Amino acid sequence: MHALANLLAATHLDGFVSTHDWVWPVCEIVHFFGMALIIGCVGLVDIRILGVGKGIPISVLERFVPLGVFGFVLNITTGFIFVAGNPIGGPLDYLANLAFQIKMSLIAIAGVNLLVFYVAGIARAADSVAPDGEAAMSAKVIAAVSLLCWFGVIFFGRMIMYNDTLLYTLGL
Amino acid sequence: MSLINTIENSAYATWVRESPSILAYTTILSLHAMGLAIIVGINTVVALRLLGYGQGIPVPALRKLFPWMYVGFTVNALSGLSLLAANAHNDLTNWMFYSKLFFIACAMVNLELTRIQVFDKPAASGVLVAPARAHTFAIMSMLFWSLAIVAGRLTEYPNFVQAWFGF
Repeated sequence: MHALANLLAATHLDGFVSTHDWVWPVCEIVHFFGMALIIGCVGLVDIRILGVGKGIPISVLERFVPLGVFGFVLNITTGFIFVAGNPIGGPLDYLANLAFQIKMSLIAIAGVNLLVFYVAGIARAADSVAPDGEAAMSAKVIAAVSLLCWFGVIFFGRMIMYNDTLLYTLGL
Repeated sequence: MSLINTIENSAYATWVRESPSILAYTTILSLHAMGLAIIVGINTVVALRLLGYGQGIPVPALRKLFPWMYVGFTVNALSGLSLLAANAHNDLTNWMFYSKLFFIACAMVNLELTRIQVFDKPAASGVLVAPARAHTFAIMSMLFWSLAIVAGRLTEYPNFVQAWFGF
C-alpha cells in the first residue's frame, strides 16, 4: 500500500492541485457527470433486464452502454487526480480509507460481473429478447448485481469523507 | 433569521447534522447523489433518443421511465430538505445554492412540458410528434441538469466561487 502511495505521489499531481484552486471543484463536477452517465446508461439496461420499461428493446438500449463506459473513463481520470493529487495527506489517505477500499472493490466486482455478462453469452441471449419480453433469470442476476454494485459505489464514495462514521458503525 | 435558527436547531436538523449514526448525514448525502444519478442519467438517455440516437427504441416506450425520474426527484427533494434543514444558515446565504434551485426548477418544468407535449398527446402513440420541439426539450433538459450539477457542486465551494466570480 505504501509502495503504491509512493508511486502515485511521484506523479507530483498534488503540486498541480494545490496551486490551481479550480482543479478540485472542476474534477468533482466531472466526477458527478460521469456518475450520472454510468447510472443512466448501465443502470437503465439493468432495470430493463429486471422487467422495467417493457417495450424498450434491450439490444438497442445496450447501444448506450459505451456512453456509460465514457462516464467511467471520466471518473477513473478524475478519481486518479483526487487520489494521486490529494494535497492534504497524499494518496495514502485514500488507499488506507476503508470506504475507499470498499468502493474500489465494488467497482472491481461490477467489472467482473460485466465480463461474465458478455463472455458467458448472457448478453447475447438478452439481446434476442423481444422488445416487451422477459429476460432470463441469469441476466436478471447479473443486472441486480450490477445495480447493487454501482449504487454501492455511490454510497461508499460519499462515505470516503466520513470514514470515521463508517468505522464507528462497524465498531472498528 | 430566527426562523432559520429554529429550523437549524430543531431535533430533526440536529440529528441529521450531529448524530454519529451512519443513517444520519452520510446516508442522506449518499441518497442525494443517487437521486441525482437516477434522474439525470435517465433524462440523458431519453434526451438522446429524442435527438435521434438509438432509433430502435420506440419513443412512447420511454414514457415508462418517467415514474423512475420522479422517484429520483422525490428522493432528492426529501434528502435535499433534510440537508438544508441541517445547514440552513450556510445554504440560504449562498447565492450558488439559489442558482442550483433555479436550474432544477427549470429542468423540472422542462421535463413536465416534455411529458405533456411529446409523450402524453394522443397522437404520441405514433412514433414521434413535433420533432423540432422534442429536440429543443431534449437539449434544454441536458443543459438545465448540467447547470444544476455544476451549481450544486459549487455550493460546496463558496470561497472558490468568491475568488472566481467576485461575489
